[in-house]
Amino acid sequence: MRIANVFVALAATTLMLAGCASQKEPAEKALAQVESSVAEFRADAEKYALDELQGVDESIARLKNSVANKDYSAVVKAAPALNSTITALKETIATRKADAEAMMAAAQSEWTDLSAKVPQMVEAIQSRVDTLGKSRKLPKDMDKATWETVKTDFETMKTEWTDATAQFASGQAGEAVRKAREVKAKGDQILGQLGMTPSA
Amino acid sequence: MSTDNPYAQYHVVKKGDTLSKIAEEYYGDKMLYTKIFEANKDVLQDPNKIQPGQKLRIP
Repeated sequence: MRIANVFVALAATTLMLAGCASQKEPAEKALAQVESSVAEFRADAEKYALDELQGVDESIARLKNSVANKDYSAVVKAAPALNSTITALKETIATRKADAEAMMAAAQSEWTDLSAKVPQMVEAIQSRVDTLGKSRKLPKDMDKATWETVKTDFETMKTEWTDATAQFASGQAGEAVRKAREVKAKGDQILGQLGMTPSA
Repeated sequence: MSTDNPYAQYHVVKKGDTLSKIAEEYYGDKMLYTKIFEANKDVLQDPNKIQPGQKLRIP
């Protein structure tokens, strides 16, 4: 009876080992497929879905650990869910990338408009500031404090415009446009203080 | 300043206007009429001869 039990135990162990061995190839294949899928979009994922990518990487690390421990069935069991997560992540990345590209296109378009208007503003204001700087008196609608403010604000405006153009040149279109909007608003304010009604 | 600058300011000459008066209105200083004359040489030959209705650029 005792010998029979030993045989049964040996048979069970053999079957279990055989079962594990039969899962090895599917497990390694599933892991390779997951890693290959992630490699395809890793660069975009790092840019648009870093947190989600870290979650997937942690799952992959667990699968690798299971393979190292010869727990192939765990890998085969977990792979489908991870594949679903990867598919969802791909969709998230595609959506976020499209949104980012649309925002970039809008920023480029707004920049084109602002980069035409602001230098014209600067030119018009500079001309008036230069002329008023030669005047012995100020126009009747302008007091000295306003004139001093105009000069200070105009210098700030020019500096900020230089900053905005540098930001745009370095690829920070969104930031550049935000700054350029502020610069234009300041320019509008200065034009008003100088009593310069734009013709357009 | 370029003539197509949308932020350029213009003054339409009224009866009784002179470049000196216009300069005083915009700059506070009559003597700066030359600035207006120089900016409008395409339409003015003589700083003492301006006509009502003329549109002058105020630099």
